[in-house]
Amino acid sequence: MGGGVTVGAEVWERRLDTPRDVWAVFLQARTRDPHVHVGDVHAPDAEMALVLAKENYARRDPCVTLWVVRAAEIHTTTQDAAEMFEPAIDKSYRFGGSYRRQQQVYRSAWRLSHRDEDQ
Amino acid sequence: MAGALAAIADASTRAGFREWLLRVADDELIIGHRHSEWTGFGPDIESDVALSSIAQEEVGHARAFYAQITAGEGDDEDHLAFARLPGEYRHAVLVERENGGWEWSIVRLVLYERFDAERLGLLAASAQDPFAGLARTLLREERYHTLFAEAWLTRLARGGGDGRARVQAALDAAWPDALGLFEDTDVDARLAAAGILQGSPDALRTAWAAAVRPVLESSGLRIPSTPARTGGRRGQHTPEFDRLHAQMTEVWRSEPGARW
Repeated sequence: MGGGVTVGAEVWERRLDTPRDVWAVFLQARTRDPHVHVGDVHAPDAEMALVLAKENYARRDPCVTLWVVRAAEIHTTTQDAAEMFEPAIDKSYRFGGSYRRQQQVYRSAWRLSHRDEDQ
Repeated sequence: MAGALAAIADASTRAGFREWLLRVADDELIIGHRHSEWTGFGPDIESDVALSSIAQEEVGHARAFYAQITAGEGDDEDHLAFARLPGEYRHAVLVERENGGWEWSIVRLVLYERFDAERLGLLAASAQDPFAGLARTLLREERYHTLFAEAWLTRLARGGGDGRARVQAALDAAWPDALGLFEDTDVDARLAAAGILQGSPDALRTAWAAAVRPVLESSGLRIPSTPARTGGRRGQHTPEFDRLHAQMTEVWRSEPGARW
Protein backbone atom coordinates (compact mmCIF):
# COMPACT_ATOMS: atom_id res chain seq x y z
CA MET A 1 0.00 0.00 0.00
CA GLY A 2 1.34 3.42 -0.96
CA GLY A 3 1.59 6.19 1.60
CA GLY A 4 -1.24 8.10 0.01
CA VAL A 5 -1.57 11.73 -0.87
CA THR A 6 -3.24 13.90 1.72
CA VAL A 7 -5.30 17.01 1.24
CA GLY A 8 -5.79 18.65 4.59
CA ALA A 9 -6.22 15.81 7.08
CA GLU A 10 -7.71 13.37 4.54
CA VAL A 11 -6.00 10.66 2.51
CA TRP A 12 -7.75 10.89 -0.84
CA GLU A 13 -5.53 8.65 -3.00
CA ARG A 14 -3.68 5.40 -2.45
CA ARG A 15 -2.88 2.06 -4.07
CA LEU A 16 -5.21 -0.88 -3.57
CA ASP A 17 -4.08 -2.82 -0.53
CA THR A 18 -3.92 -6.28 -2.14
CA PRO A 19 -1.34 -9.10 -2.15
CA ARG A 20 1.02 -9.30 -5.15
CA ASP A 21 -0.65 -12.41 -6.54
CA VAL A 22 -4.09 -10.84 -6.96
CA TRP A 23 -4.93 -9.84 -10.52
CA ALA A 24 -7.97 -7.77 -11.49
CA VAL A 25 -9.75 -9.24 -14.53
CA PHE A 26 -11.34 -7.03 -17.18
CA LEU A 27 -13.61 -8.56 -19.79
CA GLN A 28 -14.58 -7.17 -23.17
CA ALA A 29 -17.80 -8.75 -24.35
CA ARG A 30 -17.77 -7.46 -27.94
CA THR A 31 -15.05 -5.81 -29.99
CA ARG A 32 -16.22 -2.23 -29.49
CA ASP A 33 -17.26 -2.61 -25.84
CA PRO A 34 -15.21 -1.27 -22.95
CA HIS A 35 -13.26 -3.69 -20.76
CA VAL A 36 -15.22 -4.13 -17.56
CA HIS A 37 -13.90 -5.35 -14.21
CA VAL A 38 -15.59 -8.71 -13.57
CA GLY A 39 -13.55 -10.03 -10.63
CA ASP A 40 -10.07 -11.16 -9.56
CA VAL A 41 -7.86 -14.25 -9.76
CA HIS A 42 -4.82 -15.39 -7.79
CA ALA A 43 -1.86 -16.16 -10.04
CA PRO A 44 1.95 -15.95 -9.92
CA ASP A 45 2.27 -14.07 -13.22
CA ALA A 46 0.25 -12.41 -15.97
CA GLU A 47 0.10 -15.38 -18.34
CA MET A 48 -1.23 -17.69 -15.66
CA ALA A 49 -3.69 -15.00 -14.60
CA LEU A 50 -5.06 -14.86 -18.15
CA VAL A 51 -5.25 -18.66 -18.38
CA LEU A 52 -7.24 -18.83 -15.14
CA ALA A 53 -9.36 -15.78 -15.90
CA LYS A 54 -10.49 -17.32 -19.18
CA GLU A 55 -12.10 -20.30 -17.50
CA ASN A 56 -13.32 -18.47 -14.41
CA TYR A 57 -14.90 -15.44 -16.07
CA ALA A 58 -15.36 -16.14 -19.78
CA ARG A 59 -16.81 -19.63 -19.65
CA ARG A 60 -20.43 -18.76 -20.32
CA ASP A 61 -20.84 -15.14 -21.32
CA PRO A 62 -19.59 -13.61 -24.55
CA CYS A 63 -15.97 -12.45 -24.49
CA VAL A 64 -13.53 -11.34 -27.17
CA THR A 65 -10.55 -10.20 -25.07
CA LEU A 66 -9.46 -10.26 -21.43
CA TRP A 67 -7.15 -7.91 -19.56
CA VAL A 68 -5.43 -8.69 -16.30
CA VAL A 69 -3.74 -6.07 -14.14
CA ARG A 70 -1.95 -6.56 -10.84
CA ALA A 71 -4.55 -5.26 -8.44
CA ALA A 72 -1.81 -3.75 -6.26
CA GLU A 73 -0.89 -1.48 -9.20
CA ILE A 74 -4.36 0.05 -9.27
CA HIS A 75 -4.64 3.43 -7.65
CA THR A 76 -7.90 4.40 -6.08
CA THR A 77 -9.52 7.42 -4.59
CA THR A 78 -10.53 6.61 -1.03
CA GLN A 79 -13.94 6.38 0.56
CA ASP A 80 -12.89 9.43 2.60
CA ALA A 81 -12.82 11.38 -0.64
CA ALA A 82 -16.27 10.27 -1.82
CA GLU A 83 -17.56 13.70 -0.96
CA MET A 84 -15.65 15.31 -3.80
CA PHE A 85 -17.88 13.51 -6.29
CA GLU A 86 -21.02 15.04 -4.82
CA PRO A 87 -22.24 18.12 -6.67
CA ALA A 88 -22.68 21.14 -4.39
CA ILE A 89 -25.33 22.69 -6.59
CA ASP A 90 -27.73 21.34 -9.18
CA LYS A 91 -25.69 20.34 -12.26
CA SER A 92 -28.26 18.10 -13.93
CA TYR A 93 -27.80 20.16 -17.08
CA ARG A 94 -24.49 18.33 -17.46
CA PHE A 95 -26.06 14.85 -17.57
CA GLY A 96 -25.44 13.12 -20.87
CA GLY A 97 -28.26 10.64 -20.52
CA SER A 98 -29.97 11.58 -23.74
CA TYR A 99 -26.95 10.52 -25.83
CA ARG A 100 -27.78 7.08 -27.13
CA ARG A 101 -24.21 5.78 -27.48
CA GLN A 102 -23.37 6.74 -23.92
CA GLN A 103 -26.43 4.90 -22.68
CA GLN A 104 -25.32 1.79 -24.57
CA VAL A 105 -21.83 1.95 -23.06
CA TYR A 106 -23.17 2.36 -19.55
CA ARG A 107 -25.71 -0.38 -19.99
CA SER A 108 -23.22 -2.96 -21.27
CA ALA A 109 -20.81 -2.11 -18.45
CA TRP A 110 -23.59 -2.38 -15.90
CA ARG A 111 -24.82 -5.68 -17.32
CA LEU A 112 -21.37 -7.23 -17.04
CA SER A 113 -20.64 -6.06 -13.53
CA HIS A 114 -24.07 -7.19 -12.30
CA ARG A 115 -24.36 -10.37 -14.31
CA ASP A 116 -24.49 -12.70 -11.31
CA GLU A 117 -27.49 -10.82 -9.92
CA ASP A 118 -29.29 -11.06 -13.27
CA GLN A 119 -29.70 -14.80 -12.96
CA MET B 1 -31.21 -38.71 -38.35
CA ALA B 2 -30.15 -41.87 -40.10
CA GLY B 3 -26.79 -42.95 -38.74
CA ALA B 4 -23.86 -41.42 -40.57
CA LEU B 5 -21.98 -44.65 -40.01
CA ALA B 6 -24.62 -46.51 -41.99
CA ALA B 7 -23.46 -44.59 -45.07
CA ILE B 8 -20.27 -46.69 -45.10
CA ALA B 9 -21.23 -49.63 -47.29
CA ASP B 10 -18.58 -52.15 -46.34
CA ALA B 11 -19.52 -53.82 -43.03
CA SER B 12 -15.96 -54.45 -41.89
CA THR B 13 -14.91 -50.85 -42.60
CA ARG B 14 -18.05 -49.59 -40.87
CA ALA B 15 -17.33 -51.67 -37.77
CA GLY B 16 -13.72 -50.48 -37.82
CA PHE B 17 -14.67 -46.83 -37.97
CA ARG B 18 -17.21 -47.30 -35.19
CA GLU B 19 -14.46 -48.84 -33.09
CA TRP B 20 -12.12 -45.93 -33.86
CA LEU B 21 -14.77 -43.39 -32.87
CA LEU B 22 -15.43 -45.30 -29.65
CA ARG B 23 -11.77 -44.90 -28.71
CA VAL B 24 -12.10 -41.15 -29.11
CA ALA B 25 -15.31 -40.99 -27.09
CA ASP B 26 -14.11 -43.39 -24.38
CA ASP B 27 -10.81 -41.50 -23.96
CA GLU B 28 -12.76 -38.28 -23.49
CA LEU B 29 -15.29 -39.77 -21.06
CA ILE B 30 -12.73 -41.44 -18.84
CA ILE B 31 -10.21 -38.61 -18.70
CA GLY B 32 -13.13 -36.25 -18.07
CA HIS B 33 -14.20 -38.43 -15.17
CA ARG B 34 -10.70 -38.41 -13.70
CA HIS B 35 -10.46 -34.62 -14.01
CA SER B 36 -13.85 -34.26 -12.34
CA GLU B 37 -12.45 -36.03 -9.27
CA TRP B 38 -10.35 -32.89 -8.66
CA THR B 39 -13.46 -30.79 -8.17
CA GLY B 40 -13.22 -29.37 -4.67
CA PHE B 41 -9.63 -30.59 -4.23
CA GLY B 42 -7.61 -28.44 -6.67
CA PRO B 43 -4.56 -26.55 -5.43
CA ASP B 44 -6.41 -23.23 -5.68
CA ILE B 45 -9.99 -22.27 -6.38
CA GLU B 46 -9.23 -20.84 -9.83
CA SER B 47 -7.50 -23.98 -11.09
CA ASP B 48 -10.17 -26.13 -9.46
CA VAL B 49 -12.83 -24.30 -11.47
CA ALA B 50 -10.75 -24.44 -14.65
CA LEU B 51 -10.02 -28.18 -14.48
CA SER B 52 -13.64 -28.91 -13.53
CA SER B 53 -14.70 -26.99 -16.59
CA ILE B 54 -12.26 -28.95 -18.74
CA ALA B 55 -13.73 -32.13 -17.25
CA GLN B 56 -17.22 -31.05 -18.24
CA GLU B 57 -16.07 -30.30 -21.76
CA GLU B 58 -14.40 -33.69 -22.16
CA VAL B 59 -17.54 -35.50 -21.01
CA GLY B 60 -19.51 -33.28 -23.39
CA HIS B 61 -17.22 -34.27 -26.25
CA ALA B 62 -17.70 -37.93 -25.37
CA ARG B 63 -21.44 -37.45 -25.40
CA ALA B 64 -21.35 -35.77 -28.80
CA PHE B 65 -19.41 -38.71 -30.28
CA TYR B 66 -21.63 -41.30 -28.59
CA ALA B 67 -24.69 -39.54 -30.00
CA GLN B 68 -23.26 -39.68 -33.52
CA ILE B 69 -22.24 -43.31 -33.12
CA THR B 70 -25.64 -44.41 -31.82
CA ALA B 71 -27.66 -42.38 -34.32
CA GLY B 72 -29.59 -45.00 -36.25
CA GLU B 73 -28.61 -47.83 -33.89
CA GLY B 74 -31.57 -47.52 -31.53
CA ASP B 75 -29.60 -47.00 -28.32
CA ASP B 76 -28.92 -43.62 -26.80
CA GLU B 77 -25.58 -42.15 -25.69
CA ASP B 78 -26.14 -43.07 -22.02
CA HIS B 79 -26.31 -46.69 -23.06
CA LEU B 80 -22.84 -46.49 -24.62
CA ALA B 81 -21.42 -44.49 -21.73
CA PHE B 82 -22.77 -46.61 -18.87
CA ALA B 83 -24.21 -49.94 -19.98
CA ARG B 84 -21.05 -51.59 -21.25
CA LEU B 85 -18.81 -53.93 -19.30
CA PRO B 86 -15.28 -52.71 -18.49
CA GLY B 87 -13.77 -54.90 -21.21
CA GLU B 88 -15.93 -53.22 -23.84
CA TYR B 89 -14.37 -49.79 -23.34
CA ARG B 90 -11.72 -48.78 -25.86
CA HIS B 91 -9.89 -45.95 -24.08
CA ALA B 92 -6.15 -46.10 -23.49
CA VAL B 93 -4.94 -47.09 -20.04
CA LEU B 94 -3.33 -43.64 -19.55
CA VAL B 95 -6.69 -41.97 -19.01
CA GLU B 96 -7.98 -44.50 -16.47
CA ARG B 97 -5.04 -44.15 -14.06
CA GLU B 98 -5.94 -42.77 -10.65
CA ASN B 99 -5.04 -39.17 -10.01
CA GLY B 100 -2.39 -39.13 -7.29
CA GLY B 101 -0.70 -35.73 -7.12
CA TRP B 102 -1.63 -32.61 -9.06
CA GLU B 103 1.62 -32.87 -11.04
CA TRP B 104 0.60 -36.31 -12.27
CA SER B 105 -2.76 -35.05 -13.56
CA ILE B 106 -1.03 -32.09 -15.22
CA VAL B 107 1.58 -34.29 -16.93
CA ARG B 108 -1.17 -36.62 -18.14
CA LEU B 109 -3.18 -33.66 -19.38
CA VAL B 110 -0.22 -32.31 -21.39
CA LEU B 111 0.53 -35.71 -22.97
CA TYR B 112 -3.12 -36.48 -23.68
CA GLU B 113 -4.15 -33.10 -25.06
CA ARG B 114 -1.27 -33.01 -27.54
CA PHE B 115 -2.34 -36.47 -28.68
CA ASP B 116 -6.01 -35.54 -28.85
CA ALA B 117 -5.24 -32.49 -30.98
CA GLU B 118 -3.35 -34.64 -33.51
CA ARG B 119 -6.09 -37.24 -33.57
CA LEU B 120 -8.93 -34.76 -33.94
CA GLY B 121 -6.90 -33.08 -36.68
CA LEU B 122 -6.84 -36.39 -38.54
CA LEU B 123 -10.61 -36.73 -38.24
CA ALA B 124 -11.20 -33.06 -39.11
CA ALA B 125 -9.19 -33.49 -42.32
CA SER B 126 -11.20 -36.55 -43.39
CA ALA B 127 -14.24 -36.59 -45.64
CA GLN B 128 -16.30 -38.31 -42.93
CA ASP B 129 -19.06 -35.85 -42.12
CA PRO B 130 -20.60 -35.17 -39.66
CA PHE B 131 -17.65 -36.53 -37.64
CA ALA B 132 -15.14 -34.25 -39.34
CA GLY B 133 -17.28 -31.20 -38.58
CA LEU B 134 -17.59 -32.23 -34.93
CA ALA B 135 -13.81 -32.66 -34.72
CA ARG B 136 -13.23 -29.16 -36.08
CA THR B 137 -15.61 -27.71 -33.48
CA LEU B 138 -14.06 -29.61 -30.59
CA LEU B 139 -10.51 -28.57 -31.52
CA ARG B 140 -11.44 -25.03 -30.49
CA GLU B 141 -12.00 -26.14 -26.89
CA GLU B 142 -9.06 -28.51 -26.82
CA ARG B 143 -6.73 -25.60 -27.56
CA TYR B 144 -7.49 -24.12 -24.16
CA HIS B 145 -6.96 -27.47 -22.44
CA THR B 146 -3.41 -27.52 -23.83
CA LEU B 147 -2.83 -23.91 -22.79
CA PHE B 148 -3.94 -24.62 -19.22
CA ALA B 149 -1.95 -27.85 -18.98
CA GLU B 150 1.29 -26.40 -20.31
CA ALA B 151 1.04 -23.21 -18.24
CA TRP B 152 0.89 -25.41 -15.15
CA LEU B 153 3.57 -27.85 -16.31
CA THR B 154 6.18 -25.20 -17.02
CA ARG B 155 5.59 -23.48 -13.68
CA LEU B 156 5.75 -26.71 -11.70
CA ALA B 157 8.93 -27.80 -13.46
CA ARG B 158 10.71 -24.43 -13.42
CA GLY B 159 9.46 -23.13 -10.11
CA GLY B 160 12.31 -24.45 -7.99
CA GLY B 161 12.21 -26.71 -4.94
CA ASP B 162 11.41 -30.32 -5.66
CA GLY B 163 8.99 -29.34 -8.44
CA ARG B 164 11.05 -30.55 -11.36
CA ALA B 165 11.90 -33.89 -9.73
CA ARG B 166 8.24 -34.55 -9.01
CA VAL B 167 7.17 -33.65 -12.54
CA GLN B 168 9.94 -35.86 -13.91
CA ALA B 169 8.75 -38.77 -11.76
CA ALA B 170 5.19 -38.27 -13.03
CA LEU B 171 6.46 -38.13 -16.60
CA ASP B 172 8.46 -41.33 -16.14
CA ALA B 173 5.37 -43.05 -14.75
CA ALA B 174 3.05 -41.76 -17.47
CA TRP B 175 5.28 -42.34 -20.48
CA PRO B 176 4.62 -46.06 -21.25
CA ASP B 177 0.88 -45.46 -20.91
CA ALA B 178 1.12 -42.34 -23.08
CA LEU B 179 2.72 -44.40 -25.84
CA GLY B 180 -0.19 -46.80 -25.37
CA LEU B 181 -2.46 -44.08 -26.77
CA PHE B 182 -1.02 -45.06 -30.16
CA GLU B 183 -1.65 -48.77 -29.82
CA ASP B 184 -1.93 -50.20 -33.30
CA THR B 185 -4.74 -52.60 -34.05
CA ASP B 186 -5.98 -54.01 -37.35
CA VAL B 187 -8.66 -51.30 -37.26
CA ASP B 188 -6.16 -48.59 -38.19
CA ALA B 189 -4.80 -50.41 -41.24
CA ARG B 190 -8.33 -51.24 -42.38
CA LEU B 191 -9.44 -47.60 -42.18
CA ALA B 192 -6.35 -46.37 -44.02
CA ALA B 193 -6.83 -48.98 -46.75
CA ALA B 194 -10.48 -47.99 -47.15
CA GLY B 195 -9.51 -44.31 -47.40
CA ILE B 196 -11.56 -43.36 -44.34
CA LEU B 197 -8.67 -41.82 -42.39
CA GLN B 198 -5.30 -40.88 -43.86
CA GLY B 199 -2.54 -41.68 -41.44
CA SER B 200 -1.38 -44.39 -39.10
CA PRO B 201 -0.79 -44.59 -35.34
CA ASP B 202 2.95 -44.38 -36.13
CA ALA B 203 2.56 -41.14 -38.06
CA LEU B 204 0.36 -39.78 -35.30
CA ARG B 205 2.98 -40.66 -32.71
CA THR B 206 5.73 -38.95 -34.70
CA ALA B 207 3.67 -35.74 -34.92
CA TRP B 208 2.83 -35.98 -31.20
CA ALA B 209 6.45 -36.54 -30.19
CA ALA B 210 7.49 -33.47 -32.18
CA ALA B 211 4.83 -31.44 -30.36
CA VAL B 212 5.55 -32.59 -26.78
CA ARG B 213 9.36 -32.63 -27.03
CA PRO B 214 9.93 -28.85 -26.95
CA VAL B 215 7.39 -28.42 -24.16
CA LEU B 216 9.10 -30.99 -21.96
CA GLU B 217 12.70 -30.16 -22.82
CA SER B 218 12.28 -26.42 -22.37
CA SER B 219 11.16 -27.22 -18.81
CA GLY B 220 14.33 -29.21 -18.18
CA LEU B 221 12.56 -32.57 -18.31
CA ARG B 222 14.13 -35.75 -19.70
CA ILE B 223 12.07 -37.68 -22.22
CA PRO B 224 11.89 -41.31 -21.03
CA SER B 225 12.93 -44.13 -23.33
CA THR B 226 10.63 -46.79 -21.89
CA PRO B 227 8.53 -48.83 -24.33
CA ALA B 228 4.77 -48.59 -24.75
CA ARG B 229 2.36 -50.37 -22.44
CA THR B 230 -0.68 -51.34 -24.52
CA GLY B 231 -3.96 -53.19 -24.15
CA GLY B 232 -6.53 -50.46 -23.58
CA ARG B 233 -7.58 -50.28 -27.23
CA ARG B 234 -8.35 -54.00 -27.02
CA GLY B 235 -10.36 -53.66 -23.83
CA GLN B 236 -7.62 -54.82 -21.47
CA HIS B 237 -7.88 -52.45 -18.53
CA THR B 238 -6.49 -52.23 -15.00
CA PRO B 239 -8.15 -52.63 -11.60
CA GLU B 240 -8.01 -48.83 -11.45
CA PHE B 241 -10.57 -48.77 -14.25
CA ASP B 242 -12.73 -51.43 -12.61
CA ARG B 243 -13.11 -49.14 -9.60
CA LEU B 244 -13.81 -46.11 -11.77
CA HIS B 245 -16.34 -48.06 -13.83
CA ALA B 246 -18.18 -49.32 -10.74
CA GLN B 247 -18.53 -45.79 -9.44
CA MET B 248 -19.32 -44.13 -12.78
CA THR B 249 -22.08 -46.58 -13.71
CA GLU B 250 -23.63 -46.85 -10.24
CA VAL B 251 -26.57 -44.54 -10.90
CA TRP B 252 -27.23 -46.04 -14.32
CA ARG B 253 -27.27 -49.59 -12.89
CA SER B 254 -29.73 -48.60 -10.17
CA GLU B 255 -32.44 -48.19 -12.84
CA PRO B 256 -31.19 -49.20 -16.29
CA GLY B 257 -32.95 -47.40 -19.09
CA ALA B 258 -34.60 -44.80 -16.84
CA ARG B 259 -35.18 -41.45 -18.51
CA TRP B 260 -33.64 -38.65 -16.45
